[in-house]
Amino acid sequence: MPRVHFHEDLEALELDVLGMGELAERAVERAVGTLVSRDEAEAAAVIAGDDEVDERYMSIEERTFQVMALQTPVASDLRLLSVVLHSNLHLERIGDMAVNIAKISSSVRDLPPSGVILAHIQEMSDVVRPMIRTAMEAFRLRDLNLCLRLPEMDDPVDRLNIGMYQEVAALASDPETLNWGLRMLLVARQLERVGDHAVDIGEQVGFLLTGEFREFTDASHPVHLAPDG
Amino acid sequence: MNEPSETTTGRARFALGPQRGDVGERELVFDVYDLSVSYGGVQAVRDVTLPIRVREITALIGPSGCGKTTVLRCLNRMNDLIDGVRIEGQVRYHGVDLYHRGVDPVEVRRRIGMVFQKPNPFPKSVFENVAFGPRIAGFKGDMGALVEESLRKAALWDEVKDKLKDSAMTLSGGQQQRLCIARAIAVEPDVILMDEPCSALDPIATARIEDLMRELVADYTIVIVTHNMQQAARVSDRTAFFTVDVDEAGHRTGTVVEYDQTEVVFTNPRDKRTEDYVTGRFG
Repeated sequence: MPRVHFHEDLEALELDVLGMGELAERAVERAVGTLVSRDEAEAAAVIAGDDEVDERYMSIEERTFQVMALQTPVASDLRLLSVVLHSNLHLERIGDMAVNIAKISSSVRDLPPSGVILAHIQEMSDVVRPMIRTAMEAFRLRDLNLCLRLPEMDDPVDRLNIGMYQEVAALASDPETLNWGLRMLLVARQLERVGDHAVDIGEQVGFLLTGEFREFTDASHPVHLAPDG
Repeated sequence: MNEPSETTTGRARFALGPQRGDVGERELVFDVYDLSVSYGGVQAVRDVTLPIRVREITALIGPSGCGKTTVLRCLNRMNDLIDGVRIEGQVRYHGVDLYHRGVDPVEVRRRIGMVFQKPNPFPKSVFENVAFGPRIAGFKGDMGALVEESLRKAALWDEVKDKLKDSAMTLSGGQQQRLCIARAIAVEPDVILMDEPCSALDPIATARIEDLMRELVADYTIVIVTHNMQQAARVSDRTAFFTVDVDEAGHRTGTVVEYDQTEVVFTNPRDKRTEDYVTGRFG
């Protein structure tokens, strides 16, 4: 007999992870938005909204563990559950990073910003959020080529993050803005990590599709694997 | 896979190859090549190629009627006993054609023992069950020591050492099955074939047999047919997945779809039919 209920459980878990992806991406967008809008209520809402991410995270963890214990999954089912567990954790961490950004945003509300740095933060956000979407789409569509695009998408994020130090150092003559800028280094670091989590999710989806663990990027040997075509 | 060399001819050359322990690591014990089996003109198994390596546990899995037991029974010529059977292709055992007319089927079955689905001890004492085979084979040594060694290897000695004279029928199902394994071991085989050896046992007795198999594989080559996929995953080194092809006339013929290391079959099978079977996506 086909294992109908088991496979329905797997589909439900996958859908929940995809939902987590949407929540995490939206949280990053809103948190970065508060740096420009300085909307205290919105920052508080992002922080409060993380409870939903955490609840989903726990629910997915528990149900995945149950399925593993009770259904003895193998082959692509086992690999799918590995992707679910890992991606769930990555997305929960992205949610936490959005909270960190919202908290930093609240703490700098009264400090003068730098337009250049804000634009670069926004630029980083505009790259990492599509990276989360791409990782989730790769998962949903079982598309290896989408996974392999993620390291390339991550390149400008790393570049902007490194460039941020020089931009903040240029604020040295203005202590108030420098103070704001130092906090933005932390924001940039959070966004850079969001990009890394998206790449890691892509690696997990790659494992689901190929059955082989491969790191798309290696910190000590930073050569990317290229998508086809 | 390379095609095997021509069948060796001449009776003098048909000694059954090296005894257990003489062979090197991961040599082939069986080289099953293009094996087809028919019963009464109806093909049951087609084109099975299955290299089976020494001191490994090879599991044969697949749905009912896929021919896995038929193939298992070809490995010690048990199918010879069935009227109307026709066996084509090659089953080489240590390089020797197992079906050559010069090969003695009795010696084949001594070298290649079998444990069946349902424990089938003789209605005799525990001791006699183990001693029977060696005695028939003309064993002249210390029978007590041989029985003890066989029972120890079958992880049964501690449970039966004080009731060796009791009827084997007084033992539990799991103990009876281990007695059958001890009986197979007593004639110093090279290979142990197991046809669903745990299907009549409870989970504790099953776990004992599975542990025992992992101990025995240090000394013996084991081939197991099982319906329990998790058992194949737990105990075997390699897994062959069989499936059934049904032709227009409704004849069902078993074939091997995939044969690989067990971890590959259960984590990343190459063939979609294997994937569908092990994950339960079959109709």
